[in-house]
Amino acid sequence: MFLELTEEQKLIQETARNFARSVLEPLAPKLDREGDHPAFLANLKKLAELGFMGLNVQGEYGGSEAGVIAFSVAMTEIARACASTAVTVSVNNMVCEVIQAIGSQEQKEKYIPRICSGAYAAGSFALTETGAGSDPAGMTTTAVLDGDSWVLNGSKIFITSAPYAGVFVVWAVTDKEAPKGKGISCFLVEQGTPGLVIGKQEEKTGQHASATNELVFDNCRIPKDALMGKLNDGFRIAVAELGGGRIGIGSLALGIGLAAMDYATRYSNERVQFGQKISAFQATQWKIADSYTELEAARLLLMSAAFRKESGRPFAKEASMAKLFATEAANRACYNAVQMLGGYGYTADFPVERYARDVRITSIYEGTSEIQRVIIAREVLKNFS
Amino acid sequence: MKILVCIKQVPDMESRFRPNGEKTWYDEGDLAFRMNEYDEYAVEQAVQLKEQLGGEPEITVLSIGPDRTVEAIKKALAMGGDRAVHIRDDRYYQKDPWQIASMIASYAKGEGFDLIFTGMQSQDRGSAQVGVIVAELLGIACATTLVGFSYDGGTITAKRELEGGIKGVAKLKLPALVTCQLGLNTPRYPTLPNIMKAKKKEIASLTPAELSGEAELTATAAIYPPAKKGGGLVLEGEIGIQVDRLMGILKEKTAVLR
Repeated sequence: MFLELTEEQKLIQETARNFARSVLEPLAPKLDREGDHPAFLANLKKLAELGFMGLNVQGEYGGSEAGVIAFSVAMTEIARACASTAVTVSVNNMVCEVIQAIGSQEQKEKYIPRICSGAYAAGSFALTETGAGSDPAGMTTTAVLDGDSWVLNGSKIFITSAPYAGVFVVWAVTDKEAPKGKGISCFLVEQGTPGLVIGKQEEKTGQHASATNELVFDNCRIPKDALMGKLNDGFRIAVAELGGGRIGIGSLALGIGLAAMDYATRYSNERVQFGQKISAFQATQWKIADSYTELEAARLLLMSAAFRKESGRPFAKEASMAKLFATEAANRACYNAVQMLGGYGYTADFPVERYARDVRITSIYEGTSEIQRVIIAREVLKNFS
Repeated sequence: MKILVCIKQVPDMESRFRPNGEKTWYDEGDLAFRMNEYDEYAVEQAVQLKEQLGGEPEITVLSIGPDRTVEAIKKALAMGGDRAVHIRDDRYYQKDPWQIASMIASYAKGEGFDLIFTGMQSQDRGSAQVGVIVAELLGIACATTLVGFSYDGGTITAKRELEGGIKGVAKLKLPALVTCQLGLNTPRYPTLPNIMKAKKKEIASLTPAELSGEAELTATAAIYPPAKKGGGLVLEGEIGIQVDRLMGILKEKTAVLR
């Protein structure tokens, strides 16, 4: 047992922290309030140039080959400064990893370097539909082979980065007669393909700079070789890849929770009521103690899941545990942080209300807390049957 | 061209410092360490010069300190250093600037470096002596506190920061040593692929015993936190004199009136 980052992981953490503090953090309030899309994209480009879009991707495709633990600590540092940027980075990494895992050599060489280098601002992961959220196997988008091309019809919702993604990983039903989940395949669809329509952008509670859109496929024709992986094997792929994404989102939530508690704790050392700093009150101290304890536990769960994935061992249960605990701990930490600032915590003059809004989605997207519990229980029960 | 960059790993300056058990240094137990800020300017300038000269110069990074120092060395390599020398020394903090400089000079003597970059000072000890003494021991030209650097045909043009906000320009022929000040450049972030590739670069390991270091000239008698003072500096007396003193302080200590 050796609970210490390697020198390389520490340097990546330091680079992420320095960049996030000096470049991302000053812009984050503006991105939240009024938006600055060009500046948001410019920062994504800079992060790509530093190697943050393919942390766990091989060098031959433009990745950093830094591993899953480095990915986790980098996500946490980026999210401390700007959750919108962090979620985009997390999804980009996930798109690169899924292409690396199952793409053909040609697909890997074509798309991964474009995301890693920033030539594409983003990649998108198009799985969810109106009737298929926690139950993605219930999707109805179809892909029908017609001569030398696949024709896609249907629609997706809640697609991160859709307006500026260069490529979409899209799941669609390819065998309607197959048992549920057995007739779904995975495709790569380029931005600008005729019939691919970027629909309305959601107005969300938080993470405003990160676009979340509807996606419509209206007789969208893509080449036959846009199929990724084996035919009708797409659902298994999606389930496997979501595990890695969960480490990303858990790490992101941890960053928001730490940012909120760091701010509130500093504040509690300055704010005076009843003639003393509010940090001198036990009521405040318990919030500080509980939140930092939970965030530290979250960090250790995330490190454990990341270590398992990096070591090539099964990690689905650990990733779900880490995601469940980290996102809920971060939500509690943000709730405590707002409470510690009192009325000020509810105003836009202080950043904690933004943290509280940004963190809310983390226990929902990339699999809700409820779904994480289903996965964890299923994995545990396997050992008892 | 052979370039040497001397770097030191120092605690993060946001840390809380406490004297150690011997009361001769700070307690390192709980501190996070990083590369000395001024040394980042030194590394950056060396890498910029290497780029200017089409990649021809070889940059050697040198650092003295315990095992943890390797992290700072790897950062310098990730920023663009080619190879490194780590002088492993757990008791580095007991050595005065003269000893540290003599160890560096002892190593550099046989290596024939054309140009040596150091930070203006370390953020922890802050003696600002090591670079100058190394130059003296090697018998080469030296310019300190650089805020501007250019190189052309064997001559360095060094823009120096002097007291009171005044700048000076010095020209030096190689071989030379320069010490780097805040404002010289903006150090690059090491890219992640370069951090990973730095693993494969050579880090030679030496011990102080392998170098002919000098005996110390000064020893630290005691280190202690400053006495708590109340409310900063209070200016008193006739109003005109107070204004003059305030103007003087703003000119000397801040950038407000430059």
